[in-house]
Amino acid sequence: MPQISITVNGEARSAECAETTLLSHFLREHLGLTGTHIGCDTSQCGACVVHVDGHTVKSCTMLALQAEGADVTTIEGLADGDTLHPMQDAFRRHHGLQCGFCTPGMVMTAVAIVRDNPDIDETGVREALEGNICRCTGYQGIVEAILDVAKTMRA
Amino acid sequence: MNIPRIGDSQLRQEDFRFLTGRGTYIDDINLDGQVFAVVVRSPEAHAIIKTINTADALAVDGVLLVVTGKDWRDAGYGHIPSKSAVNKKRDGSPMNEPPRHALAIDRVRFVGEPVALVVAESLEAAQEAADLIDLDLETLPAVFEQRQARADGAPQIWDDIPGNLCLDFELGDKEGTDAAFAEADHVISLGVFNNRVTPAPIETRGVIADYDATSETFTLHNSTQNVHGNRDTMAQAVLGIPSEKLHHIAPDVGGGFGAKNSTYPEPLLMLHATRALGRPVKWINDRSGSQLGDTHGRDQYSTVELALKADGTFLALRTTTVGNIGAYCWTIGPFTPTGGSARTQGGPYRLPAMYYSAEAVFTNTQPTDPYRGAGRPEGSYMMERLVERAARQLGMDPLELRRKNLLTAEELPRKSPMGLDVDCGNFPIVFEQTLAMSDRPGFAARVAESAARGRKRGFAIAPYLECTGGGPKEHAGVTFSDDGRVRLAVGSQSTGMGHETALAQILAAQLGIAIENIDYVQGDTGATPIGGGHGGSRGMELGGNAVLQCAGEVIEKATALAAHLLQADADGIAFEDGLFRATATNRTLSMADVIAASLDPDRLPDDMSPGALDTASVFERGIISIPNGCHAAEVEVDPDTGVIDVVGFWVVDDFGTIINPMLADGQVMGGAVQGLGQALMEQIVYDADSGQLVTGSLMDYALPRADNVPHMELAYYEGAPTKKNPLGVKGAGEAGCCGAPPAIVNAVLDALNDLGVEDLEMPLTSEKVWRAIQDAKS
Repeated sequence: MPQISITVNGEARSAECAETTLLSHFLREHLGLTGTHIGCDTSQCGACVVHVDGHTVKSCTMLALQAEGADVTTIEGLADGDTLHPMQDAFRRHHGLQCGFCTPGMVMTAVAIVRDNPDIDETGVREALEGNICRCTGYQGIVEAILDVAKTMRA
Repeated sequence: MNIPRIGDSQLRQEDFRFLTGRGTYIDDINLDGQVFAVVVRSPEAHAIIKTINTADALAVDGVLLVVTGKDWRDAGYGHIPSKSAVNKKRDGSPMNEPPRHALAIDRVRFVGEPVALVVAESLEAAQEAADLIDLDLETLPAVFEQRQARADGAPQIWDDIPGNLCLDFELGDKEGTDAAFAEADHVISLGVFNNRVTPAPIETRGVIADYDATSETFTLHNSTQNVHGNRDTMAQAVLGIPSEKLHHIAPDVGGGFGAKNSTYPEPLLMLHATRALGRPVKWINDRSGSQLGDTHGRDQYSTVELALKADGTFLALRTTTVGNIGAYCWTIGPFTPTGGSARTQGGPYRLPAMYYSAEAVFTNTQPTDPYRGAGRPEGSYMMERLVERAARQLGMDPLELRRKNLLTAEELPRKSPMGLDVDCGNFPIVFEQTLAMSDRPGFAARVAESAARGRKRGFAIAPYLECTGGGPKEHAGVTFSDDGRVRLAVGSQSTGMGHETALAQILAAQLGIAIENIDYVQGDTGATPIGGGHGGSRGMELGGNAVLQCAGEVIEKATALAAHLLQADADGIAFEDGLFRATATNRTLSMADVIAASLDPDRLPDDMSPGALDTASVFERGIISIPNGCHAAEVEVDPDTGVIDVVGFWVVDDFGTIINPMLADGQVMGGAVQGLGQALMEQIVYDADSGQLVTGSLMDYALPRADNVPHMELAYYEGAPTKKNPLGVKGAGEAGCCGAPPAIVNAVLDALNDLGVEDLEMPLTSEKVWRAIQDAKS
């Protein structure tokens, strides 16, 4: 079995896994980072979104092998100690989560949305969230959280 | 220190762990020595199991156990009973309840029915072995649609159940209703299909079972909505052990909506396997297993008829419905199309006479069980589609027809002809407020603006009335620790709704203590002696009132202690805003002071011992509550493509007292979007010939995404808190599913009215809408 070495949340991590292991499973089962969730078999739900070398990636669409040497950020790497990342804080203030299962992928996608386009409007946010499914909230709190953070970034 | 009040939008306690990836969902739990299970499901809709050859599967390296239906039968387990509250036929005889086991014994009856269990050292080995289970099946004729299942000569799903009829049912005054119809000036009739959907929580179900041979005790970690009820069913009815030998724990649960309510086969299989192997057994469903093996919802064909006077006054409502409950009664499957839909028939309207008759019918499909609303959304959809149809056919304004027939506040309380105790509310005010929010005066200009872009714009409003349900008792227990922490254990359960905040908020508000100091515990049969779990919008009604009652008892004890500490009589102590005050001396003590004293033997009177304030309380509901409200939708339809855009959505709800408006908003919007999904895109499809599940993944089954959903505007009518419970709450969880489907479908029909489209069946996919437009042209 190959040895995979990646940087996760700023820390060098290494583990053996089968060649067929997806990045999502590698993070969860080999590195113990269970914040990245798996909600479907077909790369539809987006609960597993992480950042790989700055790109937003559904980690179920990528082999762990393909991430060799990459810099990966997961939901566990977003907060600064006990201080929530501004996007996490905005999700809380706008009630952008209920059961919390889609939330890690949703937040990672949201962080990238405003980073890539701080001028985004509501229609743009809704379209940019197309790859992430939430069954609880009806999305409005999520959309408001993202717009709030974008507004703060523009200020 | 944050001491919230009831009515504050207190931010959530649980968010910190969910937002940082530190939630503990079922798949995040791993036990030492655990092994992995895969459930093998039937590939056919209806077939005789001739043989199951397990030799190749058992030969796979690492495979530890294979269980088939024959093994299950030989183990002598009891069948999994239905708990349907409606369980008798019209003639009083028991409903036809076929035996349900964790594995199909000698015949499979739907695609996805579990036929075998494979357990191995690794998930990969279990999956490989599952593929090698060799099923020899003899295909039988099958039927998937309930009206076809009732037809003469239809395939028989159960040999001893003629006509595939589980039960027939009636409610209301048949003669009075028939008489009203005979005298009516107008009779409007409509066929309505409430499409089959799946709850689809984003976290699939999963289980880890662990058996301790020494104590003969099971520990079952399970992504379930109801630990106590399912524990009792599994232990007593199936395993034949006392309930206390099964410790049932739900960790953080990633959504439920009804799909995690019932007693499923898989937890039972894992209990069997862990006892057989002496090792923890883990099973996590995948999404295709979830589409196949989670209970579905809705699926009712109804004919609804309205009798009216010439001036539009409603005289009577008559409903005939046929519900598809799948191949088994499951947990409460027969209830939904019968009592579940019947009791709120007629909604918030003045209907002097009503009659409802129904059949619950077996088919070769996954059984249906409660899905968010469990009958009330079906009833609301029937009524609002019918009212809109009546207005169109009689040439009346749909708003005026509703205004004319809405019950007024002065007519309440009232027992509906369905026996529902509608105690309070103000339906006309809620209706008018919704209309005001939706800017009717600007509508004509918006229609013209849409038309200029080649689009058709439509509007509809849907008043609804529903009711709560679920277990009628709830436990709340409070224990105080000398580190300042307060433990609140409640038997109701959040699967995302935020009880960790809302229930803690009630306790904090009553006692005047910081919410941050409350540790909330739920979903554990070891933590509360009873518990009704989640379902029927009962969280605040049962859980909330249990906490309120428990807090009241704590205050009573604390008042006695404060009197001792302040050297006053108990009736000389006033308690307000977390402060005990001796009225004679104006000396005060905070609740925190009194709690600290209650844990200090030196400060207690002789008749109290440390922990004196610890309190456990059981609240019992007298009568179910009546949430009501109004949804309105504005839509734009592209007649060239059939694509629908919901451009405006307004809601006014009467949930009685609102504990936490932010959380209530979340319930309304989440429910409304599930309703939007059912109206526009969600549909479970079985192939009409083979019974294969066509919508077996989220590639095929369309869930609403952010760009399908409009910005919603919400408000609450808080002028009529119910007196049925001390908090005055009416339940908020399922209302969204009641209002959205009729509002959206009627708005689309309004948009397409002048194109001649009179009827559309949910879901309103663009193809279906486009075809309806083409058909109307020709």
